[in-house]
Amino acid sequence: MKWITCLATLLLAVPALGQNRGLPKGQITLPEFAQLADKASESVTVTLDPQLLGLACRFLDSSDPQQAEAQKLCTSLTGIYVRKYTFDTDYAYPKSDIDGVRKQLSGPGWSRLVEARSKKDQTDVDVYVLIDGGKARSLAIIASEPREFAIVNIVGSIDLEQLHALEGNFGVPELELETGKKPTAEKAPATKK
Amino acid sequence: MSVVNLQAAPDDSSSLLRLARDGNAAAFEALVRQHQASVFSIGYRMLGRRDAAEDLAQDVFLQLYRRLDSIETLQHLGFWLRRVAANLAIDWLRRPAPSATQALDTEAELAAPEVECDPLMTRALARLLGELAPAARAVMVLRYQEDLEVAEIATALDMPVNTVKSHIKRSLTALRGKMIGAQLVSSEELP
Amino acid sequence: MSQDIENELRRAMRAIDPPADFTARVMRNLPPRATVTAIAAARPAARPSLWTRLSAPVALAASLLVAIVLGQHMATQQAERQQLAGLEASRKLMQALRVTSQKLDLAYEAVQRPPPVAPPAEENRS
Repeated sequence: MKWITCLATLLLAVPALGQNRGLPKGQITLPEFAQLADKASESVTVTLDPQLLGLACRFLDSSDPQQAEAQKLCTSLTGIYVRKYTFDTDYAYPKSDIDGVRKQLSGPGWSRLVEARSKKDQTDVDVYVLIDGGKARSLAIIASEPREFAIVNIVGSIDLEQLHALEGNFGVPELELETGKKPTAEKAPATKK
Repeated sequence: MSVVNLQAAPDDSSSLLRLARDGNAAAFEALVRQHQASVFSIGYRMLGRRDAAEDLAQDVFLQLYRRLDSIETLQHLGFWLRRVAANLAIDWLRRPAPSATQALDTEAELAAPEVECDPLMTRALARLLGELAPAARAVMVLRYQEDLEVAEIATALDMPVNTVKSHIKRSLTALRGKMIGAQLVSSEELP
Repeated sequence: MSQDIENELRRAMRAIDPPADFTARVMRNLPPRATVTAIAAARPAARPSLWTRLSAPVALAASLLVAIVLGQHMATQQAERQQLAGLEASRKLMQALRVTSQKLDLAYEAVQRPPPVAPPAEENRS
């Protein structure tokens, strides 16, 4: 009966081995952060799968300029996932959870577009895109500040200029897709980790 | 929902919140009364019109009614109301609707603040405030009307702290310049 | 920036009271939390002999009326729930996009900031 035990163990291990297997391409696994939500003074949790995202887009107000821009943007998206937690004290959140998410973004297809470290503000921001066929198919942002961290995952065909148009006031670094080169974004030495 | 005579509603604000969450209409009404001036004023200073401010305030309290279960403390309630009012006002200002106007009411029937002040200066400042962009105006209202700290404003408006500071600095500079230009003050009075 | 203009702003921005009937209007516009009360109103109660004589056809008519009202109410409630769900989803969508653009803004600011100037090796910082 030993071989049955071995087979059962192997079958049970398969889901763990292929952790992101069930998720669409470009969607990362976000930890639950259940304990963090209790500690946080404010939290933002957004989970919009394709169905909910479609519903959300239908209820946007096209007479509002920002919502009209959002409508254009979300027609090509299939999911938006955000976790943002704000705390009353510095570094009340575990780095290990964030590092776990970063590990997923070192997988095939993901490219780090921006790695920004600010010693002055103690802010780290990493922006990743999943490149497929020369186009950005998914976006991930990990931003950590002393009292806040945020993880954003947008799945679908990303038009970064449309995303930028939402605020209208900032520029997004150019993505040189053809050569795969990243712009030089590291202006301050990494001070953490 | 049980309806209770207003006189029976307790004075203890924490109890009011608890009772309102349990469906007590009088308790909810008391909470509205406690915060209506703040919410209405945010609406008025953002939108520049009494009727729009009333509509906005109505919307805010309706949203509060629907989300009472998520309000944990009185402090949270106050912050939540200010945040929702300011963000809703910004959203309304960005809509090209005819009712959202940048110009302030000129009618003088507003309840005058019970503080000695120069009414000309007050009106002029209010007018100049109305000329600021929505986000900057919201920052100034939350700072100088609601006395929120920079970090609180940043959280309320989903803005980086540095952006809040920039808005305050630029807006004060712009206001100062316009006040001098309008000859409300001399340049020596406001260094 | 001097304190004077800030004090003037605080004075100019004292809270203003809404109209006297504002609270009453808020309370009037609140959505009802109670369940359908038409059922209770239409349900035939124990009545004197007149009701005893007419109870069967009246009860039937009342039941039909209740079924129609209830059906309409449920359809309205479902539509309202769908609308609330849609509005909530769209609010979440805008919130998510706001957070996204805020964090992209952070990255841009960090990228645009000039690199810190390294101090000379011999400088003695206290």
